[in-house]
Amino acid sequence: MSRAIEHILRDLEHIAIRHDSERRVRIDLASEALPALLELLKGRAGFVHLSAISCVDWIDSGEFELVYHLWSYELNTLVSAHIRIPRDPGVYLSVYDLYQPAAFFERDIHEMFGLYFEGSPDMRPFILTEWNGPPPMRKDFDSEAFVNQTFQWETYHPDWLKDLEEQGGGIDKRPEDIR
Amino acid sequence: MRPENYQAKSHPPSNEYELNFGPNHPGIEGNYALRVKLRGDRVIEARADAGYLHRGFEKLMEGRLWIQNIALVPRICVPDPTPMEVCYSLSVETLCVLEAPERAQWIRVMQLEMSRLAAHLFAFGGHAATTGLYTNMFWGVADRDLILDRFEELTGGRVYSIYNLPGGVRRDVPDGFLERLAALLDYLEARLEDYDNLFFRNQVFIRRARDVGAMTREQALEWGVTGPNLRATGLAFDVRRDDPYLIYDQLEFDVITQQAGDALARNLVRRGELKQSIRILRQIIERLPAVPGPVRVPIPNPLAWNAPAGETYTRVESSKGELAYYVVSTGGDKPYRVQVRGPSAMHAVRVLEKLSVGARLEDVAQIMFSLDACPPEVDR
Repeated sequence: MSRAIEHILRDLEHIAIRHDSERRVRIDLASEALPALLELLKGRAGFVHLSAISCVDWIDSGEFELVYHLWSYELNTLVSAHIRIPRDPGVYLSVYDLYQPAAFFERDIHEMFGLYFEGSPDMRPFILTEWNGPPPMRKDFDSEAFVNQTFQWETYHPDWLKDLEEQGGGIDKRPEDIR
Repeated sequence: MRPENYQAKSHPPSNEYELNFGPNHPGIEGNYALRVKLRGDRVIEARADAGYLHRGFEKLMEGRLWIQNIALVPRICVPDPTPMEVCYSLSVETLCVLEAPERAQWIRVMQLEMSRLAAHLFAFGGHAATTGLYTNMFWGVADRDLILDRFEELTGGRVYSIYNLPGGVRRDVPDGFLERLAALLDYLEARLEDYDNLFFRNQVFIRRARDVGAMTREQALEWGVTGPNLRATGLAFDVRRDDPYLIYDQLEFDVITQQAGDALARNLVRRGELKQSIRILRQIIERLPAVPGPVRVPIPNPLAWNAPAGETYTRVESSKGELAYYVVSTGGDKPYRVQVRGPSAMHAVRVLEKLSVGARLEDVAQIMFSLDACPPEVDR
């Protein structure tokens, strides 16, 4: 099975193929070579199912990692193709013309990470339609700082708690003590 | 006004209008909207509108310990939560090079199939309601409740059991549990005949569901359809059989297929899978007592547990289709990135949009429910 994949991909340069297990193959390659890889895998090895596109924000090295998970119903193998692109400007090519499910994942990544896919059919907001802040899944978006800026903390000291404290009970640890 | 003075107002020649389906709509298991554009009662355009159940799970999980996330993941799909727990646990186990003991694997498969039974009963009960057959919905929900009783006995929780941990399950099955589960399976199997008479052989349902929301196998593959919806187009693919995990390779079951690819076929696949899940559970009841061993491996202190750096893409077959987790670790005590790939992300968005076009208004809810989409999987 996996030999077949290596044979098909023999002409691609700068590509690292690793067999993680019987039905899992990891491929690392340069971002320019990804469309050629996908065309070969889809056209010659039956990788017709794009299971997912994953995005990871590697903020320390200033890169986004994109992982294309492909499944072949003929070879019963899952290939994960890893590429890295610069975090700034954060633009990559859409693979929608090869895999229609890419439309959902690319729209989702655009919304959550701010990465733009050229040629994707729909880049409008989908889940966060009322959100004006930065893309929230980026590592430099701090949820806690955002909450502190946006909302007011209110002291919660209801009567039942006061009664309890008069009897000598109550809350002995507060969240700020634990952190 | 005298009739001879009446002059009709002229409108531009259009009878198109827009209608919002949802976000609170009985045609889907949760808050989800579909904006449909109609000409007469024929849909000419449909746009999915998600986000009503967005709770930011993926971001939340980056801020919590490996073990804490177990309490978050089942909430991503309410009708079928167990695959979420198991898939996340399997991901963490892959990262940590752990393997759950064999007995834990059997117990996990038992829960997965119980959850599949419950989810399918819920799904075609709901579909029946969209065609006006409410009795079936009441029966489906009531019978699902009996399965939840067994979940409660086994795990303490009816819906979110939080019972699977990286490294195994929380505790062994209680005394007498397997006998009670066997009795429940006997009851459910006897009930299937009732469901057939009430629903699957009901001409109201058959005539309403036939040819509604039909897709070919080529379209299904192109659109990324998985699970029962894909099997309804004739492709016998099941992650449990073709990419086996846990102990599914030691169990006997058939992959149910249908050819038509319409709402009727999708329901018939689920009907067939009920029988197969009962068959799998019977094998487990027979063989589990002889499986030795603990139900979990010793794990490090959960509050100071660092998973080795690496990444994994783990997938299981949920009742809706292919469910996968992409988990990245940088060696810390929390995940660096978790992505949830729910099957409904495909079914509820682009597949639903495409299948709705050309359908009549009264069939849109049927198409929604026949795809058995779970909106929180889209929103996460």
